[in-house]
Amino acid sequence: METMQPAEARDHIEMVDRILSRSERSLHVGGEFFLVWGMFSATVTLTAQLVVGRAIPTSSLWLLPVLLAGAIAFSVIRGKQLGKRKDGLSLIQREFFAVLWISMGAAMFTDVVAYQIFTTWASSAIWTVAAAVVLFFIASHGNRRALVCGIIVLVSLAAANFMPHYAGYVLSAGMLLGYAGFGLISIIARDC
Amino acid sequence: MDELLLSKIRLGVIAELLNVDWAAFSDLQQATQTTNGNLGAHLGKLVESGYVAEEKTFVNRRPQTRYRLSKMGRSAFVQHVRQMQRLLEKEGAS
Repeated sequence: METMQPAEARDHIEMVDRILSRSERSLHVGGEFFLVWGMFSATVTLTAQLVVGRAIPTSSLWLLPVLLAGAIAFSVIRGKQLGKRKDGLSLIQREFFAVLWISMGAAMFTDVVAYQIFTTWASSAIWTVAAAVVLFFIASHGNRRALVCGIIVLVSLAAANFMPHYAGYVLSAGMLLGYAGFGLISIIARDC
Repeated sequence: MDELLLSKIRLGVIAELLNVDWAAFSDLQQATQTTNGNLGAHLGKLVESGYVAEEKTFVNRRPQTRYRLSKMGRSAFVQHVRQMQRLLEKEGAS
């Protein structure tokens, strides 16, 4: 039976660490998800704010289900495309998508079923919280841009709390800068 | 320790497969920096032992062999790394 010397064991463990840290650090998921959902969320909140301010007619709200259907269709199609890649998805990518869908799904579910509890800007704030969870998850894998964008999103939440008359604008700006902005930067940098 | 994983190349292959669904032969060759024949022989042993599953597919009408880590392979890898860590701890303690 073969045995192993400590020096050899150290060498092997170092190699395993190198391989694992390389594969775990790369979270290539496509910034377009952030761009699409960030813009969708920002549009929803902005539209609501403009309707509340009577800047646009209430009938404009009918645009939102159409945009939602578009964002969902995009996510499903793009998700399938990513899944069909020859190397498939890595564990970390699958973990990321689980966090993304659970966060966004929970936000949507809450908005639909608890609309009497989460009224007006609270329903938009739920999306902001979900976005922050996703961004901080990515940040926990060493992505500083995600950390900065997550902070932007949370700051917008706190700022909206102290500006009730402009809460929609502030939350919308937070999603646009923090979430859609993160997607745009990631697409340009091609590292997410 | 797992005798099959005492080989640095085989251990490297398992580590490469740990975070992916499937990896093509060419990707593993690039990662391990070995020759076709050498890697093929190591992969053959891993497939034979049930640590790795092999699948032959076509990508853009060209044949491609790809590999996936099995549950048995994952468990053997974890055990093996644990034992190597214990060995180092023992050495540090003595």
